[in-house]
Amino acid sequence: MNQNLYKRRKLTNVIGLVASLTAMTLGLFVLLWILFILFKNGFAALDISIFTQSTPAPGSEGGGLANAIVGSLMIVGCAALVSTPIGIFAGIYLAEYGDESKTAELTRFVTDIMLSAPSIVLGLFVYAIMVAQMGHFSGWAGSFALSLIAVPVVVRTTENMLRLVPGSLREAAFALGAPRWKVATLVTLRAAKSGVITGLLLAAARISGETAPLLFTALNNQFFSTNMNAPIANLPTVIFQFAMSPYENWISLAWGGALLITLSVLLLNIVARVLFREKVKV
Amino acid sequence: MNSPLASPQSSAPTADMLAVVKKQRLQDFLFHKITMSFSLLVLIALLAIIASLWISAWPAFNKFGIGFIWSDEWDIVNDEFGALIAIYGTLVSSIIALVIAIPLAFGIAVFLTEMCPVWLRRPLGTAVELLAAVPSIIYGMFGLFIFAPLFADYGQPALQSTLGQMPIIGPLFGGAMNGVGMLAAGIILAFMVLPFIAAVMRDVFEIVPPILRESAYGIGCTTWEVVRYVVLPYTQRGVIGGIMLGLGRALGETMAVTFVIGNSHRILPSLFAPGTSIASTLANEFAEAGDMHLSALFALGFLLFAITFIGLALAKIMILRTERAKGTRT
Amino acid sequence: MLQNASKQPINAIECRGVNFYYGNFQGLNDINLDIQEHKVTAFIGPSGCGKSTLLRALNRMYSLYPGQRAEGEINLYGQNILSPKQDLNLLRAQVGMVFQKPTPFPMSIYDNIAFGVRLYEKLNKADMDQRVEWALTKGAIWNEVKDKLGQSGLSLSGGQQQRLCIARSVAVKPKVILLDEPTSALDPISTAKVEELIFELKADYTVAIVTHNMQQAARISDFTAYMYLGELIEFNNTSEVFTNPKKKATEDYITGRFG
Repeated sequence: MNQNLYKRRKLTNVIGLVASLTAMTLGLFVLLWILFILFKNGFAALDISIFTQSTPAPGSEGGGLANAIVGSLMIVGCAALVSTPIGIFAGIYLAEYGDESKTAELTRFVTDIMLSAPSIVLGLFVYAIMVAQMGHFSGWAGSFALSLIAVPVVVRTTENMLRLVPGSLREAAFALGAPRWKVATLVTLRAAKSGVITGLLLAAARISGETAPLLFTALNNQFFSTNMNAPIANLPTVIFQFAMSPYENWISLAWGGALLITLSVLLLNIVARVLFREKVKV
Repeated sequence: MNSPLASPQSSAPTADMLAVVKKQRLQDFLFHKITMSFSLLVLIALLAIIASLWISAWPAFNKFGIGFIWSDEWDIVNDEFGALIAIYGTLVSSIIALVIAIPLAFGIAVFLTEMCPVWLRRPLGTAVELLAAVPSIIYGMFGLFIFAPLFADYGQPALQSTLGQMPIIGPLFGGAMNGVGMLAAGIILAFMVLPFIAAVMRDVFEIVPPILRESAYGIGCTTWEVVRYVVLPYTQRGVIGGIMLGLGRALGETMAVTFVIGNSHRILPSLFAPGTSIASTLANEFAEAGDMHLSALFALGFLLFAITFIGLALAKIMILRTERAKGTRT
Repeated sequence: MLQNASKQPINAIECRGVNFYYGNFQGLNDINLDIQEHKVTAFIGPSGCGKSTLLRALNRMYSLYPGQRAEGEINLYGQNILSPKQDLNLLRAQVGMVFQKPTPFPMSIYDNIAFGVRLYEKLNKADMDQRVEWALTKGAIWNEVKDKLGQSGLSLSGGQQQRLCIARSVAVKPKVILLDEPTSALDPISTAKVEELIFELKADYTVAIVTHNMQQAARISDFTAYMYLGELIEFNNTSEVFTNPKKKATEDYITGRFG
């Protein structure tokens, strides 16, 4: 064996691995640092008034995020309610009829595009067709914008989960004489149930953190309101507005809100993970 | 009489069964049509988006023509607009982000798949995936409150006194050091897309069949050689896909960028200088925009959508080509 | 009803000139054979010989997949099921199938059985309970599950799951039951139980079974068909095929010289 060649290869190996290790350490260090800062500043801002008081006026003391929390829950909730049936049915179509149909091919391609579409552009679209037409901003417009983001996620995960169901299970149902729609819903969808729910949770997590599409649709509201037909407070927009401001209490509330969003998103992700891992034992 | 304990009788299906069959045919037909129409909704949505953006952007495109794309005007008072500054900001910040994020993501993926002790693999992998889910506004806030001051006090002076003194690339690191600016935006953006690209890379590295790796080790390859000559080529398409997805996110990102890019409509040679991206222009100026201004903003939005669309299409073509070349697809 | 005086065997299924194609590849070549009712007919042969292909043509399972097609005639009690007018769901309600891998539905044991029955019959609760019990008894699994009908079908062992699948097929009272290597995924004890089951089923049903296991074919079947490369090489009473094969190819396979 050529010793020099081997030595050089060993050296390359060490350099490569050390570089990878360094990159990893650097990457993870910064990411964990960001989380640490978030938790530190966020928890400092958290107290019961966050949940009991509404956002304070510029320059005034104290205040909370109650209106923003409620508003966000309503907007995200509506978006989730709307995108669930649309996403699941479209996902079923792609999984059941997808191999025989040009429409399905096209839909898949379009779903890919929508998945990578900048969310701010979706906000523009909803502004043009809803806000401008209705003459005012509204929670409904915000929900609509968020559903445009959520539906492709649900479609994609539903289709993937349905396709994971073994072909033999479907064949066994057909072998009893079951019509296609029963096989698709009572057998295949049921077998993929936990995976599909995981997809729904992940979609919800994704839209909970979105700011840009809400900027021109739901706008914001300084006061507590549950009227979806008018501008409504929501956490992401409040954070955006407060963080860039010069007021101490506003900035503090921004950190608190950021922490709340991050915790909900992380929680949804963790629940989705646990659920999926549980049931994936086939 | 259909006693449950009787054995099968005559060969002809009963009238009851035929009625059920007929109903089933209708149900299947409806099911097909209903699910198809939901699927079509998605298609219609995309078409509506493109159409609506174009219509709202038309006044600007009409007034400024194709020159809108490379005009560096942005004069709100006199209604003179051009997209160049915003496009420049979007592209430069995204490229900086990828240049930083890709090697770091690669490092994380290699570590997780080749070097990590087994007990640490799952928790660390999950941590990376969860980080990918953190909303981007967090990164923006971190950038504004923590990173920018530190960058202004330590990072930028360091860069300016070293790389800033070299020929050719020197001017990239010149000028005022305020922390916020193009480079800062690129760095923050890098860390935002990092967990995502790392997770995708890790996923595709894991799919490499153990037997391929073992064959390489079996002939005496070092770990690094296995990664370079077996894992990377095998996962090429997934890696490229992951990078393109990361690029897509970087191009369209609003919050992580808006906080730290400085929001100034100028193109300056230094990366320390403030600038703007398409997304941050939209976020900052939409609220009070007058008619032509608004139309120009829609035009920017349309262009951003087009850029992302082109990027995605290129990625798909590239992936298709590598698949054809490798013979995995005809 | 007087018994058929001439004792002419009735064919449940008759194949005439059946050809099968996977795209451009021909999987079956001019198959002609009769499957007698209330008998067990086994299909044996090396991998890729077309036995599963033929079985899956008998309930048109292949129609689920574009690109697969069959030509010729397959007559189920006189009716050609390859005709485009044949309703596939109706066909499959009359010709049941059990697969190699046990496939219990993600529902309770009770619902697994009831699922098929509910497709075509309206039974009240008492009748359905009775049918479920009957089917599980026929599947030789009633005693093992009678106290846990509400539990998921997936909670059973492999052998039990397969017997559940057989019970599920039986519950809808088909005329023919197709078994595609039903015991190759099971341990010997479960295999023995399933073989006993098959033997009892033939009193009421026509059974066609594909098997890799020649000894199994010799044990339980009345007729055996030996296939190779998509063609039917030999078809006769089981005892004849195994003790006095007419073709050398059959003999080679059976004695283990080939395959």
